[in-house]
Amino acid sequence: MSNTGVFITSLGIISPVGQGLNDTLDAIRKATRGIKPLHLFPTSHTPPLPVGEVGSFSLASDLPRTHALALVAAEEAMKHAAGVPDAVVIGVTTGGMPFTEELLKRGELDSKQYEYHSTGSVAECVARHVGCTGPVLTVSTACSSGAVALKIALEMLRSGMAKRVLAGGADALCRLTYYGFHALQLVDEAGARPFDRNRRGMSVGEGAAILLLTSADDPPDNAMAELLGAGLSCDAYHPAAPHPEGTGALRAMKDALSDACLSPADIEYIQLHGTGTLDNDLAEAKAIHALFGERPIPPLSSIKGSVGHSLGAAGAMGAAVSVLSIAHDIIPANAGFHEPDPQLNLIPVRMPTVKDINTALVNSFGFGGNNAVLAVGHPRRRKRPETPVCADRLRSFTVLGSACLTAAGGLEQTIDAMRHGKGLPGIVSFSEIVKPLSEKYVRRLKRFPRMALSLAVSACGASATDGPPSSVFLGTGWGGLSETYDLLMNLFASGERFASPTDFVGSVHNAAAGHVAVHFKSTGPNVTMTGGDCSFEQALFSACLLIRRSDKPLLVIGADEHHKILSPLFDASVLPGGPPSDGGGALCLKPATPAAPRRVCPSFMAYSPNNDQVILALIRALGGNRTIREQFGAVMAGIPAAQRARGTAQLEEFLSITGYPHPVIDYRRFVGEFASASAVATVLAVSFIEAGEIPENICDRRKTPLRGRGVLILGFGHVVTAVEVVP
Amino acid sequence: MDELISELKVKIIETLNLLDVRSADIKDDAQLVGGDLGLDSIDVLELVMMLEKDYGVKIDTKELGVKVFASVRALADYVYQNRLGSAH
Repeated sequence: MSNTGVFITSLGIISPVGQGLNDTLDAIRKATRGIKPLHLFPTSHTPPLPVGEVGSFSLASDLPRTHALALVAAEEAMKHAAGVPDAVVIGVTTGGMPFTEELLKRGELDSKQYEYHSTGSVAECVARHVGCTGPVLTVSTACSSGAVALKIALEMLRSGMAKRVLAGGADALCRLTYYGFHALQLVDEAGARPFDRNRRGMSVGEGAAILLLTSADDPPDNAMAELLGAGLSCDAYHPAAPHPEGTGALRAMKDALSDACLSPADIEYIQLHGTGTLDNDLAEAKAIHALFGERPIPPLSSIKGSVGHSLGAAGAMGAAVSVLSIAHDIIPANAGFHEPDPQLNLIPVRMPTVKDINTALVNSFGFGGNNAVLAVGHPRRRKRPETPVCADRLRSFTVLGSACLTAAGGLEQTIDAMRHGKGLPGIVSFSEIVKPLSEKYVRRLKRFPRMALSLAVSACGASATDGPPSSVFLGTGWGGLSETYDLLMNLFASGERFASPTDFVGSVHNAAAGHVAVHFKSTGPNVTMTGGDCSFEQALFSACLLIRRSDKPLLVIGADEHHKILSPLFDASVLPGGPPSDGGGALCLKPATPAAPRRVCPSFMAYSPNNDQVILALIRALGGNRTIREQFGAVMAGIPAAQRARGTAQLEEFLSITGYPHPVIDYRRFVGEFASASAVATVLAVSFIEAGEIPENICDRRKTPLRGRGVLILGFGHVVTAVEVVP
Repeated sequence: MDELISELKVKIIETLNLLDVRSADIKDDAQLVGGDLGLDSIDVLELVMMLEKDYGVKIDTKELGVKVFASVRALADYVYQNRLGSAH
């Protein structure tokens, strides 16, 4: 046990009511309402729907709006910070979509124009700007992304792997979300009125909030607040609607309290998710009543009537505003609320109210039934509980089951094809994807969610005795490309009149993980990471941080679909003329004891630009040259085509420093170029270890015995990663 | 009216990709949403879009949706009375 706390020592915020801490605080005090008809781009609506649009700000013109908003917030957070953060964790859903949709609308086919499309490029932009050389993670869990990012940052700090983490969320208004939420009939034409009896929906918004978190035994002088704890859960109920009884929301609130060693009576303010939709506000109200029971419910309010719903930024913005509430003793008004709703039986705070607040809960819920709740406290005014740090830190997982999909088929066919020297790069056949799935269940799912679900079902099929997985971690570079493309093209073809609700819900990056959760009733954390070529490693890394020791299995999946138009535009490694390829891998895992067989351990992740020591750091993290030579009978190296030169140099440096004598498998040459190729490599590594050898024709014409050694999976390029698989 | 009912059944199957359903499986008066077809709120919204596109019929509130999507017959009645160019 220790008394280490995680403190918020600075933050940056930009929202429709102001840029920077001072303006935001002023707007909270004046109850400024920032919701107005959309001005940013022309629409087919007259007048345009009301949104939370950020006014003019210094926009780096060569960057999409999401990136620019994130940079504004990050710059403010780092303004007075001494030193560079050890890690960056950003929650985001739109990424470069503000550019991408305009480019696609005018039929632009130059892939260079799309270089900032990926959600992962937002966190990388921030990392580059602040000079971070550690893990750079991207969370894409729809409207809870920002809060989930803060939870991951909290666990990185608690585990001791980082001392300072820059974390938050950012999202910008774009046609995809503007029309998408309208198609779901979730937009209030009068502007969001959270918790009001006459509420008709949300107002889509935008903005960014980024917090600098610092771990310390005693509150630093500049501590504004303490991040006391956080809870994650999944409804496992429906792709878009919350559980009608708010059971998932309740579980996340309870988990946040227990993670922070608090009881409901300690909470002095609740910042509601409060989007203003009929279903969200009702489910949230039910969850709050269930949490407090007969006890008095503290003051509560939603800021979304003032700033709109900034999606991936919302959870971080909620956290930032709660920090201001605690530091300046003020409860923000619940703008838009006029008439109480007897069904909700909760009256939010109507006017800005001066009040001492020591402890607050911040609610954040998203599509896929994805719930995240943060507990934020005054850094000094309350007695801090002793929190266990590192005590149950997970080092590795044991593999219960695994599956992969490649152009050859499943795992057996993939190995067979490799053994016979057949080229694997290619597209997974549709019949192979749907093999384990019921047609009725997947009728609404396009290629990517089907792949993810198919992998999940196959990986868990082999481990039925351990029960279904309780949590789901999914890494994908690009998410549902078919849904995104179909949505945008049909929208443009109809003169921006019709957006398919099904495609919109499917285009959200975490939709696939949501379907997996519904299938298995996995109500634990449900986390989708979208960090480009190391998305799968990021999913594995997050699982290690978020899963406590337990006997319950979890799923870690990596998958990407090839889309004939979008993949060559978005993924610089998908070269014109090269064989199109896609696929993925899934592992059903359980937290491992040191003696457990078939262990998987994500042991290194570092952002490499401007870091010429990255390979030395990698070698150190793996235990040094001798350990590497003795422990690993083969290296599987992932070098994305777009980063061949840099990646090859990194691999050569690694091999020459370690004097590595065993085979190296350049696995993308077998499985093809797609972002989550490393998931396939990891599943192959597990199967090699089970067999005790690498089959013939893979690294040598003959079989290569592993002699009890493990396999090391390395990723090179912008981000250098290591995943150890040991017998 | 029977013609419109048959037409709507085909459109429902196509729009929602109900691969294992034939027109004859959808009974005129059976519950359309939450029934045997396994349709939910997202399917309803997808049908809302189809009805606006193909018939010029707008259904923009949940309350109206519940009434209109009670059954294929209720849906056909509503489309018949509200379609663009109808005499009503």
